[in-house]
Amino acid sequence: MTEKILNIDMLSKSFSGLRVVEEVSFDITKGSRTALIGPNGAGKTTVFNLISGIYTVDDGQITLDGIDITDMPERQRVNCGVSRSFQNIRLMPHLSAIENVMLGQHSRARSVGHLMFPLGWVPGNRWARRAAEALGEAGLDTHAGEVVANLPYGVQKRIEVVRALMPEPKVLMLDEPAAGLNEKETEELQILLEKASEQGVTLLVVEHDMQFVRNLCDHVVVLNFGKKIFEGAPSVVNRDAAVREAYLGTDYVDAA
Amino acid sequence: MSGYWAGILAILCFNIVVAYSVFLPAASGQLNLGAAGFVAIGAYTSGYLSTDVGLAMWLTIPLAALVTGAVAFLMSFPILRTRGVYMVLATFAFAEIVQGVYINLEVFGAAAGYPVDAYAGLGVIAPVALGVVVVSFFIMSTRFGLSMRAVHDDERVAALFGVNVRMTQVTAFTLGGLVAGIGGAIWAHQFNYVEIQNFNVMLSIFVLLYVLIGGTQTAFGPLVGALFFTLVPEVLRVSNDWRFVFFGVMIVMMMVLRPEGIVTRTMTERVTALLTFRRGTAAKP
Amino acid sequence: MLILQQLISGLMIGGIYVMVAVAFTLTIGMLNFLNFTIPALFMLAGMSAWGLTTLGIHWAAALLGGVVIATLASLIVERFTYRYMRVRYGDATEHALPLVSSLGFLIVFEHLVLIALGSDPQRFPTPFTSSDVHIGPLIIGIPQLVSLFLSLVIVYGLSQMLKHSRVGRALRSIAENPDASTLMGVNVNYIVPVVFIITGVMAGLAGMLFTVNYGDVSAYMGDNVATKAIAGMVIGGLGNIWGAIAGGLIVGLTEVMAIHFFGADIVKIPIWGLLLLILVIRPTGLFGHTTIGKGKF
Repeated sequence: MTEKILNIDMLSKSFSGLRVVEEVSFDITKGSRTALIGPNGAGKTTVFNLISGIYTVDDGQITLDGIDITDMPERQRVNCGVSRSFQNIRLMPHLSAIENVMLGQHSRARSVGHLMFPLGWVPGNRWARRAAEALGEAGLDTHAGEVVANLPYGVQKRIEVVRALMPEPKVLMLDEPAAGLNEKETEELQILLEKASEQGVTLLVVEHDMQFVRNLCDHVVVLNFGKKIFEGAPSVVNRDAAVREAYLGTDYVDAA
Repeated sequence: MSGYWAGILAILCFNIVVAYSVFLPAASGQLNLGAAGFVAIGAYTSGYLSTDVGLAMWLTIPLAALVTGAVAFLMSFPILRTRGVYMVLATFAFAEIVQGVYINLEVFGAAAGYPVDAYAGLGVIAPVALGVVVVSFFIMSTRFGLSMRAVHDDERVAALFGVNVRMTQVTAFTLGGLVAGIGGAIWAHQFNYVEIQNFNVMLSIFVLLYVLIGGTQTAFGPLVGALFFTLVPEVLRVSNDWRFVFFGVMIVMMMVLRPEGIVTRTMTERVTALLTFRRGTAAKP
Repeated sequence: MLILQQLISGLMIGGIYVMVAVAFTLTIGMLNFLNFTIPALFMLAGMSAWGLTTLGIHWAAALLGGVVIATLASLIVERFTYRYMRVRYGDATEHALPLVSSLGFLIVFEHLVLIALGSDPQRFPTPFTSSDVHIGPLIIGIPQLVSLFLSLVIVYGLSQMLKHSRVGRALRSIAENPDASTLMGVNVNYIVPVVFIITGVMAGLAGMLFTVNYGDVSAYMGDNVATKAIAGMVIGGLGNIWGAIAGGLIVGLTEVMAIHFFGADIVKIPIWGLLLLILVIRPTGLFGHTTIGKGKF
């Protein structure tokens, strides 16, 4: 299946004259698992922010499953099928784990009837059950009622992923989901994401953990200084000269 | 029940209602230092409907709420353009304007005040206050209440998950106005007299303070705050001024020691777990 | 001519509002904190000065004592509010903490004074009651002239200090970026109290000047000044000292003229209506100067 679910075409963004993203283009195939990598400051999070609508695009186009979302207000983009997690955890600190996850369901429950339903008074309601199940699938259900501010970093990071899965997105963007996780947590995260992928969710992951990328992803896009410098399979990415130069510096490239 | 305690209870009911009028916007991140303005509108409206129009209380109270809610809705458009300290000042400005308007309106008695016909004793006030509490708990238990709290914590991310932040904020602010209108109506019918001097800056300040002391994370907070503000001074049998000194000191200490307020989300979770004999925190929103 | 006389009275009282407005705007600009204790400090200076005279202390020493007491009170506020500000989540309620604490202190100070000195307005034994200058048909009180001059000098001195002294530079850097400032060696724990000292001195001096010029002090004198000073600050833009000067004078003038033409009570509506408009449409104030600091709370 080579149907394209996400097209990024000549995307550009500057901040106060500094070109943070420069004419980046790549396509994401439906059902694939793509990693977006590059040294710090390469513009990866900015690309995510442009796709989710936090920043406005200076130039270029973003198409999601055939719909041009370049100028779409951020609130509506989740309805088109894009969802994300964040580099610095951005859970609602005063809400419990399950409440955070239930927030993820909001785009699927926007009608007045849904808004007025007393979720807190009907403990067995389907939204709470679905959220609890999702947490359970990620191995996090023992923390469900705990206010997230009190939970350890690794748990919070994974709750973010669960929350991002709740809108049943077409494309799931994850910004450094494995950062700060220990080996066991990283493994569990990988299982969770593989499950999501098998259910048809397309993954786009920013990551620095190359082992994680190699285990999970089938496609890699490399950015450096705002430009795309490589696109291809994970197995060959570290042999490309431009990539080596980006990460290691010119002196080391020829030593390979 | 002795007349004295009946009076205290009536004041408590008023304090509770006004607490919720400030709590609902505060729970979605809006700080209102102009509660007195909205309460004044509710008081004068219900008073006018009672004295000059001759309506019964079961009409004046809801109508006062609607009028105040409408004013809040209209004011939400300019006020919600502000954030943080600017919003505090904007709501403060609003209350000052309301004071200025009423003190000059002869139809409402201007500075001399306005008499209100119908009397509401505890038999009316208590159920009304109870109703406000129940409805507030209901709102906070809904998905809308969840989105309110999400907007309070992180507007940006809430929007990314599809929450209509603007609508949530306008609704919360309007609901606050509606409830404040009810509070004003209670005042008017309890004391049978409305004087604008009673709806001053200190009222706005006190309400905001005891709502914040109670805690804005759950619907229990304003209840606790109002109880604290009304009943603790009764327990401390000291002069009026010393009660306020105590209150002020409590505020300063609370902000240092427990800034989230007395009742936090963590606390309600632990208490629920305790009461339902659960081990650890299981799935419950 | 009567108009001119009124204009002059407006400027005189405006001069006092200026100092309080500057205290407000300085704290907001430097510390992102709307300090509601300031009017209480103003009142403390006036009331404690009066209290001291009842103990037999000479009026000049009493006035100075008032200023000292106001400054000490300000430092107490610093000790228990700002120092505990830990921004953990950055959400709306959290940013309000220092403001809420300052409201707590406002209540404490006002009621302590009510307990100690009663709620009746008092007359401060000012020795300057009849030294006026006559320019044509205009009467200008010498003490008022002196205090207008004094407030402008003090505020000018303050802005120079901020611009050119080491302390001033440190303050401005904290306003811009507290974390970077600490890294650059600015000792935040020493510098922040300086802002509170300046606040206390300015509010206290304003209280002192008010007492000397108008003679009436009461436990509620802070409330009136508070709203006018806040208005002045908003007009000038939060964080903008020169704006606060202009704002304070404008408010003083508007108040006097409005009372003269329309009567006291109606004044509130246009003033606060204007302020609301400014806050909503042009929060940087009428003078549009970019404010220092994030100005959030």
